[in-house]
Amino acid sequence: MTRTRPGPVTLRRELTSKSDSDAVDAALAASGDAHAFERLYRGHLARVHSLARRMLDDDDADEATQDVFVRAWEKLGTFRGESAFGTWLHRLAINVILGRRERRGIQRQRFLEGEGIMETVPGRRTQPETSMDMETAIARLPEGARQIFVLHDVEGYRHEEIADMLGLATGTSKSQLHRARLALRQHLDR
Amino acid sequence: MSDQWSDRLSEYLDGDLTEAEHLAMEAHVEGCRECAETLAGLRRTVMRARSLEDRPPAHDLWSGIAERIGTPARIAAAPRRRRIAFSVPQLLAAGIALAVLSGGSVWLLQPSPLTIARPLVEVPGDAPVTQVGVGTVKGYDAAVDDLERVLAQGRGKLDSATVRILEQNLAIIDRALAQARQAVAADSANLYLNSHLAETMRRKIDLLRQAATLVSAAS
Repeated sequence: MTRTRPGPVTLRRELTSKSDSDAVDAALAASGDAHAFERLYRGHLARVHSLARRMLDDDDADEATQDVFVRAWEKLGTFRGESAFGTWLHRLAINVILGRRERRGIQRQRFLEGEGIMETVPGRRTQPETSMDMETAIARLPEGARQIFVLHDVEGYRHEEIADMLGLATGTSKSQLHRARLALRQHLDR
Repeated sequence: MSDQWSDRLSEYLDGDLTEAEHLAMEAHVEGCRECAETLAGLRRTVMRARSLEDRPPAHDLWSGIAERIGTPARIAAAPRRRRIAFSVPQLLAAGIALAVLSGGSVWLLQPSPLTIARPLVEVPGDAPVTQVGVGTVKGYDAAVDDLERVLAQGRGKLDSATVRILEQNLAIIDRALAQARQAVAADSANLYLNSHLAETMRRKIDLLRQAATLVSAAS
């Protein structure tokens, strides 16, 4: 017979946290364990691919995501566990994505020229707003404004960090973010 | 709405203005309907951005990655771990068993006349959190052996669902321990991994200690 008392659950079924298992898998992968690396890939694929899709075009996102994980495999020896593996991978992903843009020499309008920039985005009066509407609208922003918006409002980086990543003045990052938000607001509030 | 104010609405929203600027903007927005509407729209936009959900790609990318990192194709083609499905009665039974275990755990923590007079097994205190190495903490293996023996001898006194959950949790910990030991072997100077190994060892001792006490309580 087992004694029972009411109370909170203290015996947890999930006994290791994701960050613990990530750190273990990262060490295993660094020693050449591809199974461990595949587990890391599976656990972080959606986040990395979403970042790539928002920062680049849909067509580039798959290849950029592959580049990120290949680079991560090569750099695993530098991961020392001071931060969560996800944080380390995310920062590496941003570097890879930004580097990819530079290498490809993408020639696009870097910054918003005016608030009418979103005029080319089809309106969606008859459809309820969904996250996909937001994703579509972000994709229509000029590249510079899009990257600043994604890094700040989606990913949570500070202007100082963004300015450092993109080689801009902090004030430029702030003004471009504001114009991107205004443009998105115009589209989403139609 | 004037540019002097409207151009800085995002900075106001993000808390990037000085205190004096913030107060001045606050006063302006209260009296300017256009700025108030714009601010509300900006706030909605930011909220939507923050609530975006991550989605995986339309098709898996692992095979391309595996090829580029020189991993044998068998990794890419390896069968996925089998999903274990439970029926509703099984889930209910597991839930009840977990509640029973939890109750037992809470009971263990409460000072009461039912508290066991002496420890079932003497186990080592907190293991060092660094540099535990791939081997063992002094006394750890012996403590684990003693507790496992108590559990083995008393498992007939526990209901089968309780035993099953205990064994599932022990299996999870053992897998984590094996991986942690492998990881420490691969990177023995990594303090985080050493700490993680020590913590996982403690988790096993804690679970076995709880199980042994449940056996005692059921006697």
